[in-house]
Amino acid sequence: MSSPTPAIQVENLSYAYGRAEAIHDLSLAVQPGRCYGLFGRNGAGKTTTMKCLLNLLRPQRGQVRVFGLDPAKQEVAVKRLLSYVPDQVAFYPWMSVRETLDYLASFRPYWNRKTEQELLGHFGLDPAQRTGSLSKGQRTQVALIAAVCPETDLLVLDEPTSGLDPIVRREFIETVIGAYQEGIPGKRTILVSTHLITEFEGLIDEFTIIDHGQAVLTLDSDHARERYRKIRARFAQSPPELDLKAALRVRRDGRELELIANGAGDELLERLRQHNPEALSTESLTLEEIFVATLKS
Amino acid sequence: MILQINFKSGMPIYLQLVDQIKTAAASGALRPGEALPSIRPLAEELRVNRNTVAKAYSELESLGVIETLPGRGCFLKENHSALRKEVRRKLLIEEIDQAIVQAHHLQVPRHEFLQLIHERMDVLDDKRRANEDHKKEV
Repeated sequence: MSSPTPAIQVENLSYAYGRAEAIHDLSLAVQPGRCYGLFGRNGAGKTTTMKCLLNLLRPQRGQVRVFGLDPAKQEVAVKRLLSYVPDQVAFYPWMSVRETLDYLASFRPYWNRKTEQELLGHFGLDPAQRTGSLSKGQRTQVALIAAVCPETDLLVLDEPTSGLDPIVRREFIETVIGAYQEGIPGKRTILVSTHLITEFEGLIDEFTIIDHGQAVLTLDSDHARERYRKIRARFAQSPPELDLKAALRVRRDGRELELIANGAGDELLERLRQHNPEALSTESLTLEEIFVATLKS
Repeated sequence: MILQINFKSGMPIYLQLVDQIKTAAASGALRPGEALPSIRPLAEELRVNRNTVAKAYSELESLGVIETLPGRGCFLKENHSALRKEVRRKLLIEEIDQAIVQAHHLQVPRHEFLQLIHERMDVLDDKRRANEDHKKEV
């Protein structure tokens, strides 16, 4: 049995702006139907990676493939398969919302008018308003409508919710889940880059944390939350000297200990238990806490 | 039936949904023949991937807890009494385990812990009887 062609395949990708290396030897694969998160701090290389997928930049080393196609050689075919919401949305300011959507639809072989109408109504957008006078949140909503209506197999979101208010952010994610994922399961793949991880937590199946252009950690989300745990222990006297090398991070405060474990949770719990703590508790880290723990250690 | 996700529990999200729906079925929050929420609005509300909700539902279907009626949605099956007992026991075991761990931390030995359980059951029985007598008088 051969596995299906990945929706996205990045292999040993490197890219530098002049002498400043933005991406170094990055590899990742996104299977069709998955929602994949690309997490990194500002300037970690998320946007550069996405620009290589969209043929806005040419890889200097390594290669990228979208459904097996090379974006540099088969640009039109690749662009038919994907839609994109950039971090900075720009439209022709003199066009109305209606004209903008019609203009964008003219490049697409398919456009779902019903979804368009529903989303315009849902967001409370006035089709006659000129895009130049829209707020940042409204411009992002128009960009999202334009990304959802062509019903492409791949949706690429680059920091889509940064700088937006909490209500708009929430509606954005609900729209991705509701309207975009409406299609045949396995035919709707999402690649989202963000440093606002919490709000995408339930959507993301798998993620890569990148830092200084390199992949630091790639994991399945459920698996990650199982592996990364916070353990708290309180002792009657000051905590005994323990071998806690297996912990990613250790905090001490008086009689209390807090450990971050990566995979060695059970072993650490057992070691703490042997010293009869007054209290002992454990919980999983959220994806955002995993992100912070990974980049701070 | 109100479902919620806890990302700090360490349990896969789809299994959290499976467990909560089983619990709702065992406790009567979801009755036989009642409809489960549709996948899209539930995924939107919980802000989880739709595939995750779909995976939970197909797991529940293969366990025989729910059934899918084409074009109408998912419903709790009429017959799941065996499951109810199993789930009830499982829920109770979780609570008991927590109490046991707590007893260990508080250095309450086994015999004292078991004795406490008997005492508490007696106390609660007495309360219940007192309540019933009170109702009779009124």
